[in-house]
Amino acid sequence: MKKQKTDSENRNIAGICLSLFEDKTKKEAYLPVSEKELTDLFHQLDKKEIGLISLFGAENFNGAPGLTLFYVLEKKDSPNIVLLEHKLASGEIASLVSRFPAAGWFEREVQDGFGITFLNAFDTRRLFLHEVYPDGFHPMLKSFRNTGCFSGRESGKLPGAPYKFKRFEGEGVYEIPVGPVHAGIIEPGHFRFSVIGETVLGLEIRMFYKHRGIEKLAEGKSPADCVAVAEAISGDESMSNAAAFCMAVERISALAVPNRAWQLRTIMLELERIYSHLGDLAGMMVDVAYPVGAVNFFNLREEILRHNKNFSGSRFLKGILCPGGLKKDVPAPALTALAAYLPEFTRRFQKAVDLVYHSPSAIDRMETTGIINEKLIRPLNITGPAARASGAIIDTRVDHPYGLYPSLNIHIVTGAKGDVLSRFNVKAEEIRNSAAMIQAILPEIKDGPVRTDAVIKDGYALTMVEAARGQSVHWVYIKDGVISRYKVRTASFCNWQAIEHAVIGNIVPDFPLINKSLNLSYAGTDL
Amino acid sequence: MSFIIYVLINTVFVLLISPLLMGLIKKVKALAQGRRGVPLLQIYFLLAKLLKKENVYSTNSSFITRIAPYLNITFTAAASLFVPLVFIPDPVAGIGNVILFLYLLVMAKFFMALAGLDAGSAFGGMGSSREMSISAVIEPGVIIVVAAIAFVLKTYNIPQMFALTLASPIFNSATLLLISISLFIVLITETSRVPVDNPETHLELTMVHEAMILEYTGPNLALMEMSHAIKQTLLMGLLINILFPWGLATALTPGGLLLAALMFFVKSLVLAVIIGLFESLTAKWRLFALPKLFMLAYALAFLTIVVELLV
Repeated sequence: MKKQKTDSENRNIAGICLSLFEDKTKKEAYLPVSEKELTDLFHQLDKKEIGLISLFGAENFNGAPGLTLFYVLEKKDSPNIVLLEHKLASGEIASLVSRFPAAGWFEREVQDGFGITFLNAFDTRRLFLHEVYPDGFHPMLKSFRNTGCFSGRESGKLPGAPYKFKRFEGEGVYEIPVGPVHAGIIEPGHFRFSVIGETVLGLEIRMFYKHRGIEKLAEGKSPADCVAVAEAISGDESMSNAAAFCMAVERISALAVPNRAWQLRTIMLELERIYSHLGDLAGMMVDVAYPVGAVNFFNLREEILRHNKNFSGSRFLKGILCPGGLKKDVPAPALTALAAYLPEFTRRFQKAVDLVYHSPSAIDRMETTGIINEKLIRPLNITGPAARASGAIIDTRVDHPYGLYPSLNIHIVTGAKGDVLSRFNVKAEEIRNSAAMIQAILPEIKDGPVRTDAVIKDGYALTMVEAARGQSVHWVYIKDGVISRYKVRTASFCNWQAIEHAVIGNIVPDFPLINKSLNLSYAGTDL
Repeated sequence: MSFIIYVLINTVFVLLISPLLMGLIKKVKALAQGRRGVPLLQIYFLLAKLLKKENVYSTNSSFITRIAPYLNITFTAAASLFVPLVFIPDPVAGIGNVILFLYLLVMAKFFMALAGLDAGSAFGGMGSSREMSISAVIEPGVIIVVAAIAFVLKTYNIPQMFALTLASPIFNSATLLLISISLFIVLITETSRVPVDNPETHLELTMVHEAMILEYTGPNLALMEMSHAIKQTLLMGLLINILFPWGLATALTPGGLLLAALMFFVKSLVLAVIIGLFESLTAKWRLFALPKLFMLAYALAFLTIVVELLV
């Protein structure tokens, strides 16, 4: 140990990193590394075992001026998270994209936010900063003040270079540009298809039309005020994101959350999964033009939303969480009403699913459509039901347990084929499991406090939750009692790239179905 | 003289009833989904609203976009003369040939597809290409269906076909029942319904018919919607009056005409319910699986001819 510290150039970095994953005492470990060690490490690590799940920067971290980069690593079968901490000496660093393709968007996000150049990257186009932002504009730098609306045109500087899409060329290849404004009432995103006839040759997705500067907005806020910011990340993931944020603050300040609060939180987290998945199942049925199959899911979703309202005062479970527990207790009638409703819910849900399974035309549309190859899961860091439907046995509730989950019996539902039907099956099964989980928790709830009053300490922590769409990673850095840096990487951010691969070889009219089977959040991608 | 009265009566009746039939099918689908649905007369309000609005043209569009709605409604209206809905006129030269009827509808479709391409939008082009591909595949089926009907009834003239089936006892030929399945598939395909197309979709990438008229607004859109509704009424009328012609008037009496109109309304109501339920019971098929459906129409029509030859 001593030798490693003194002779840091020659230490066995991969060995140290692996030992941190085995350390039973710490959930998250920070390992300072030099640039050479970083490159060596990524070449030595087994790509099948270890994945890069996030990459972000923080300025003036722990009093050190300049930018510190954090590479967040996850290892199969280890509950620990290792963050490689690299203090940047210059504005350049070697890109890891050839080793970890998921790093592509991560690096481009850091590049836009902080103006860092990643050497030897395949793709150095801007990510979340569209053409209207002038060159040299990097909003995540502390020197940039978050004041009102910003327009590149008003600044008088010329906008950045136009965005170049990937081009596919050949006889009969043509492009279909779709969006960002769509015919339906959905979020904005641009999809550039290159097709031959009806067959998709390539798809490039351009997101980030919803940039609200969420991470910047959080800076300088007190943790209590910042809960609302976390809830606004993505409208239908408000509970998961707020829970992850509160967990981070609780870990930093060593707050013990009362058991009753965790029981209620878990119920709400599972309610969120249920209504989100119900919306997905309904959406898939609408997209294959089988609205009779969709309507049952829509009805059940609406009923769950009404229970949410009874529970928290908000149909989308906003405004109830706070660091330390819950802002307010859940009224007793809401608990009894939910307990009475769930058996009926399960019965009707089963009937609704059976109706779909007895519709050969609907099944035919879903089978073999939009296959996500299992080989892509680690490299692209695909998470959540999308990964499980392709056979990956991953679930943050089991892999990195939090809250009440270690005491609950969670069955990880997986599919084998990775097609739309597999995702339909996985989501349907997860709804049943979540309902059963809530039914198991409800009788256990005892009266008691729902909040530990928060005494905020300075520090930093990384937390993860399994949101409906998959793993959501939150890193909170509190300095002088306010948020100094808040980094969020939602499941959608990673899973969009899965769609680009899933549609290849499918026909254009099947794209909406493939897209809906993943139902990613546009806002959750673009903070 | 009686022919002019026929033209007037038939055209007015078609114009009046077509939006209603559209609304009926919509209503049936809504009820099947447990929704209340829009009012039956909503389509009339929609058309009235569109007619009051202005036309907006893409700067990339040519004269094709401007004339296509008028050509479309003209061809469809001309085709409507070939299908008597309430009153069978005396034969007039040039009117009623079933082949000519089909190709008048194809002309309308042709200009709609051209208009889809004209503005240069990716969706319009996609819609036109799909519509033309589907047409090319269904066309042999349609021809065989028509040939089978003509073979069974020994005439090419639509009013004469109706007169023949009206004069004969119920189901004068069981083969007509067989051919009606094929006719139904043609009806579903030509009116862009599930499982071929989805008239209610907002997903621009899956559209066929809707994609072609995506660029239209105002009165032009009203004309396009109207000609689509008329086309549907005509194909429904063809199916109804070949299979169940009861109530069709053969003489010009106010009472007879009224009864015929009422009878047609009731029969089309039943057919609308069937179409609505059929659409509700199935998902849209994969685009490349559609030829299977068309083959069914083709095979049944072919079978009709074989059975007719053997009997």
